[in-house]
Amino acid sequence: MTIVLFGLYSAALYAIGGVGFTLQFGVTNVLNLAYGSLITSSIFVEYYLTGHSTNLWLAMLVGGVAGAVLSFVVGFVVVGAFVRRGAAGFSIAMVTIGISLMIQYTLEAIQGPVVNAYASSNRSTLLSVAGVNLDSQQVTAILVAVVLMVVVHLVLRLTKLGLAMRATADDVSLTRVSGVSPARVRALAWLASGALCGICGVLLGIGIGTFDAAIGNDFFITAAAAAIAGGVGKPYGAMLGALIVGIITQASSAIVSPAFSSISAWVLLVAFLILRPQGIFATYAAEREIVA
Amino acid sequence: MSQSTVYYLSGLGILFFINLVAVWGLDLHFGFAGVNSFAFIVFQAVGAYITGVFSLGRANTPVTFETYILGVHWPWPLALLLGGIAGAVLAVPVGWIAVRRLRGDYQAMAMLVLALIANSLIAAETGWFNGATGLESVPQPFGNLNVSLYDYHWVFLALAAICGVVSWWIARGIARSPLGRSLRALRESESALAALGRDPNRLRTIALVAGGFLGGLSGGLLIQYVQAWGPASWLYAETFLFFTAIIIGGRGNLLGTALGTLLVPIGIVEVTRELPQFGYPGEFADFQWVAIGALMLVFLWFRPHGLIPERKRVLRPRDDGASGQEAPARALARGSQR
Repeated sequence: MTIVLFGLYSAALYAIGGVGFTLQFGVTNVLNLAYGSLITSSIFVEYYLTGHSTNLWLAMLVGGVAGAVLSFVVGFVVVGAFVRRGAAGFSIAMVTIGISLMIQYTLEAIQGPVVNAYASSNRSTLLSVAGVNLDSQQVTAILVAVVLMVVVHLVLRLTKLGLAMRATADDVSLTRVSGVSPARVRALAWLASGALCGICGVLLGIGIGTFDAAIGNDFFITAAAAAIAGGVGKPYGAMLGALIVGIITQASSAIVSPAFSSISAWVLLVAFLILRPQGIFATYAAEREIVA
Repeated sequence: MSQSTVYYLSGLGILFFINLVAVWGLDLHFGFAGVNSFAFIVFQAVGAYITGVFSLGRANTPVTFETYILGVHWPWPLALLLGGIAGAVLAVPVGWIAVRRLRGDYQAMAMLVLALIANSLIAAETGWFNGATGLESVPQPFGNLNVSLYDYHWVFLALAAICGVVSWWIARGIARSPLGRSLRALRESESALAALGRDPNRLRTIALVAGGFLGGLSGGLLIQYVQAWGPASWLYAETFLFFTAIIIGGRGNLLGTALGTLLVPIGIVEVTRELPQFGYPGEFADFQWVAIGALMLVFLWFRPHGLIPERKRVLRPRDDGASGQEAPARALARGSQR
């Protein structure tokens, strides 16, 4: 039961991060390896701007806005400039790595030799299920994740913007001749992905209570595992993937050892890439020539 | 020059050759075969560990609290060679996992994750290579040579230079051979190559194995020089140091990548250690990494082919009289028609 409940909490974070990653990858077709450092920088902005506030709602607002702005600058402005210049594929991945190195080590220099810590907030037990206590932050994170997933679902399915996003992910030229500007859709995808990334970042940082300049990187790879297990560019798949990854990381850390919690998720990622790169559902990968 | 300056410069020379071997190994993967080898640091790491456990004596756990496998205390040339071979052998499963079916971004992602898994696993498993602490006090080559610390640097420099020459011979041999031509063709157009009856996966595996050997060799040399090796020495970001050297120097060009090695791992990382340090310990290294990231962006923007770009190979066909530059795949097509 502990595994299921804490798995649910981990899954909430992976779902927000994973959906943000997969949404942007699907629409813009840019593998954003700087996503982890965007998560980290959102936490840093929130931490310094709000004076170490652990008020989750304020934190999510600040983190979400910071993430959206940074993601827009990094993705739409910088990476976009490289794409317009004709860089493709591997060069773009290298560009995001260069940006990631710059962000991560600038933050490390800002942080200094100390570990940043939030003042221990009042963590009362809010929910007690079968002897497992979840505090208010964990419950909030789960609820926020559910709400965000519903919002993403509604936007994608019911609005014109959602249709434009799905269309851009599907076929750029067909979208363009239909009178939709792919650039605008891409800009919105970077913004939305950054907002999700920022929200997930502050929930992660405040949830753990301490953070350093490397916090986003390992988390990003695990969230990407969720996204890839669910099928790249498929927000619903990422949600299911997050649930699987959340349970697996908690189970392996409880049964084997805490050191194996990330390793098991990463092994799952590699296994999915090799055996079922299209993810749990669907035919997406085949259309995109992911595999030879 | 004072003795300490000479000592410092010979030390830079040693590190240059060690990095050069690794960069050429990565160039075989990435520059020639077009494999997004984001896990390259693992080849260096496995070479270092294997060389370490073959040259160390048996782990005396009750005294030193170290645990590692083997500890057979074999002669150093054998241990070094085994380090290289370990890198080559590792290339086979890596190729099977990341190269057989995956391409592009997905291949890069899988490689990156493999590097993370390997590092975390070796740090967590204390029984293999002493876990997160790593190996220490690895015997040096010619360790019983009765020379001063200064003179010993020259001995090691000669050894590193010999390994550099061997790597040059391997890399250049592959680059100039028909195999090298096939690899470049594969990098440009896999389907064209496959249509000519070549097996892309076999070619990629050959390049991975050769590059893996060089990676392992450089790791073996490194552990013999610095005498210690642990998970903190090979975080996945280190791979991008080599990638930056290749991008700046010129992908697929051995001379260019040598220049890149001189500029990045030596020029930015090693030489700047002599500058006055500032801030807390490690702050300087942070700015080095920021500079490396910035340099990568600057070169990808202004000079994506590097300082010394790969030479366009011009193959003059003998029979049909057409001249000019040809894509490698077409040149190969012509070759196999004959």
